[in-house]
Amino acid sequence: MKALIAREIRLLLHHPIYVICMVVLPLFITVFFTSIMNSGQPVNMPIGVIDNDNTSTTRKLTRLIDAFQSAEVVEHYNNIADARKAVQRNEIYGFILFPEGMTQKMISGRQPRMSVYFSNATLLAGSLLYKEMKTMCTLGNAAVGQATMTARGATPQQTMAFLQPIKLDTHNIGNPWVSYNIYLSVMLIPTCIMLFIFLLTAYSLGAEQKFGTYKQWLEMADGNMLKALYSKLIPQACVHLIILYACFLYIFGILHFPAPGGIGRLMLLGLLVVIAAQGFGVFLYGAIPSMRMSMSICSLWGVLNFSMVGTAFPIFAMDAPLQTLSWLFPMRHYYLIYQLCIFNTYPLANVMTSIIALICFALLPLLVVRRMKKTYNNFEYIP
Amino acid sequence: MRPINYITTAADAWYNEIKAILKDEGVLLFFVFLPIAYPILYSWIYNNEVAREVPVILVDDSHSTLSRDFAKMFDASPEVSIALQCNSIKEAKEAIGRSEGYGIIYFPEDFDKKVGRMEQSHVSVYCDMSYMLTYKAILVTANLVSIELGTKIQEQRLGNTTARQDEVSTHPLEFEEVPIFNVTGGYGNFILPAVLVLIIQQAMILGVGMIAGTERERKYVNYKARNCHSITQAINLLFGKSLCYLMIFSVMLAWITLAVPRFFGFVSMVHGWDLLQFFTPYLLSCVFFSIIISEMVRYRESVMLVVVFTSVPLLFMTGVSWPQTAIPGVWQGLSSIFPSTFAVRGFIRISSMGALLSDVAEEYRILWTQTSIYVLLALFVMWRRVQFTNEQTSQSE
Repeated sequence: MKALIAREIRLLLHHPIYVICMVVLPLFITVFFTSIMNSGQPVNMPIGVIDNDNTSTTRKLTRLIDAFQSAEVVEHYNNIADARKAVQRNEIYGFILFPEGMTQKMISGRQPRMSVYFSNATLLAGSLLYKEMKTMCTLGNAAVGQATMTARGATPQQTMAFLQPIKLDTHNIGNPWVSYNIYLSVMLIPTCIMLFIFLLTAYSLGAEQKFGTYKQWLEMADGNMLKALYSKLIPQACVHLIILYACFLYIFGILHFPAPGGIGRLMLLGLLVVIAAQGFGVFLYGAIPSMRMSMSICSLWGVLNFSMVGTAFPIFAMDAPLQTLSWLFPMRHYYLIYQLCIFNTYPLANVMTSIIALICFALLPLLVVRRMKKTYNNFEYIP
Repeated sequence: MRPINYITTAADAWYNEIKAILKDEGVLLFFVFLPIAYPILYSWIYNNEVAREVPVILVDDSHSTLSRDFAKMFDASPEVSIALQCNSIKEAKEAIGRSEGYGIIYFPEDFDKKVGRMEQSHVSVYCDMSYMLTYKAILVTANLVSIELGTKIQEQRLGNTTARQDEVSTHPLEFEEVPIFNVTGGYGNFILPAVLVLIIQQAMILGVGMIAGTERERKYVNYKARNCHSITQAINLLFGKSLCYLMIFSVMLAWITLAVPRFFGFVSMVHGWDLLQFFTPYLLSCVFFSIIISEMVRYRESVMLVVVFTSVPLLFMTGVSWPQTAIPGVWQGLSSIFPSTFAVRGFIRISSMGALLSDVAEEYRILWTQTSIYVLLALFVMWRRVQFTNEQTSQSE
């Protein structure tokens, strides 16, 4: 047993591909995603203005929208066609149109119409700009009303009660900043690491076959396939776990992403993810003993994890068969546990099915152990 | 060497490559299965475009006509539905823990009374922030309903005589929002063009990497120069191989950009001629880029280990999920190595925004620049392999 583990550690150190995929790339991914979304929400997205009115009021509104965190007025255009061209050329994400005579109509109470054009081709930019411009319009409307009310001698409370009879209080539980970093990084980084574990597990099993070292490996384990397997997987699991915990430490410890569920649950989740991913990798290699086919399927599955986790586009909005299929993706279970028990503080009992599912993934190799031994002894690697 | 010999060597290289691809199930998987099946799969996943009827839990302590009106209007919207009514926030919270809803809407006891007393009344929305689309749906709907009900209350208080007077005094400034591209705000329409274009590059890198890995394991036997200069041989080989990859991927590209969006009814405003012009440098730079990357592949399987994960970072760096202007300079710099970055940016505008080639001129120029740099590097890679085999054979002789 000791000799087997020592052999495995030597293997891991000897081939640079293991160090790259187990340590370097996961850490790179962690830094990449957290730094790219560092601002939490995109700031100063370029927008344009078509000011056909050109009065002090419209200029004030332009300055107002420019002062918003997410928008920045970069250009004035003469007409809609020019502005639309600019959107198509990727120069701006949207534009505002102040029609001629807007201020005059506003003062004389003839209800002018101001238009906001935004592109949803980049969904996040579109929806954020829409939100900001909607706020600006509400403020604009309120400003007119406020002036009239104050002139009539109403108190500020009376004014507010009239302008906004029903106020909406939003409570963004767990992520009051609506930070996309907090929302996406906790899904993207573990999914990438899981992809690496899928592939590396299948690769390391296939490599024994490919380089003809399996005879030595099985002999050292006294021909016991199960023993050979777990003495191979335990050292790997340790490295994966250390790296995953290091990523968690960076995300939750250094960047202070919220994890009210606590460290204990986070560590449990990390362990479950690693063994489930390894189990899946072993199972695929056992079921399809061709190294490249099993690795290809691991890749395809691992990439689908990003969609089937259901973070960006929720599972319940997908077609019914896909909702069921989502159970076959370990990442889906990771996210359910994370969402309910770490991001929120519900008891683990609420996600028992997901925990059991992950354990089932980890136990999948038991189905193929016998078959694996046969394959190792009977098949040869064909390049 | 007569000119005809150049053509025959290139044709030989092309023929060998096709033969090798057809015999190799691993490569076929990436060259044929992946580009055909993945677009269909992704289209299916994102086919529904938007999250409809997001379940929300209602807690109504007010029990008034106004709160019931609010709840009814809220429930009637397409985005959300009231799935459950609870007696307290605590109970509602527990229901969220059982995934019965993604948010809570709460009317306090004095919700109606405050309106009656001419004070500002409050309604609370609690959102589970682990799903942004549900958060957006709940928030936007609650906001719209509160504004609409608020306007009705204002109208009652104003006691105007005509409907027009009501309109003018509640909305002195009318606001019109016009989504110009991807008007439905659909998720599939937004992410799919990017994914589709990216698939081409990734499939090509994986497939070509695998071929190169196999060749390397077999010590590049088919690279041996036959009575011609090694650089000539390298050019011939590169020409033959590229032609083969181009041939396969032109068909795949047509399938991905023309057929798939039509099957699933995604927005597609492409002009055939512009598309052809725009994707020529993309395919070329992808081919040469894959050949360069394949030089780093030691064994045929290891290419998957380092290439597959790049898909998501590459998607991010194109600026589709995270606006390009918000991407830090370092990552923008890194992203400019990859052909997909510019091809995705260009294709989104051509396909979802009806842009012409002149509108994506910048991306088009960069793609040609990449092609011209990568063709030289790819040639160098080929030349090294030819040199390697020549040395090997001279040693063995």
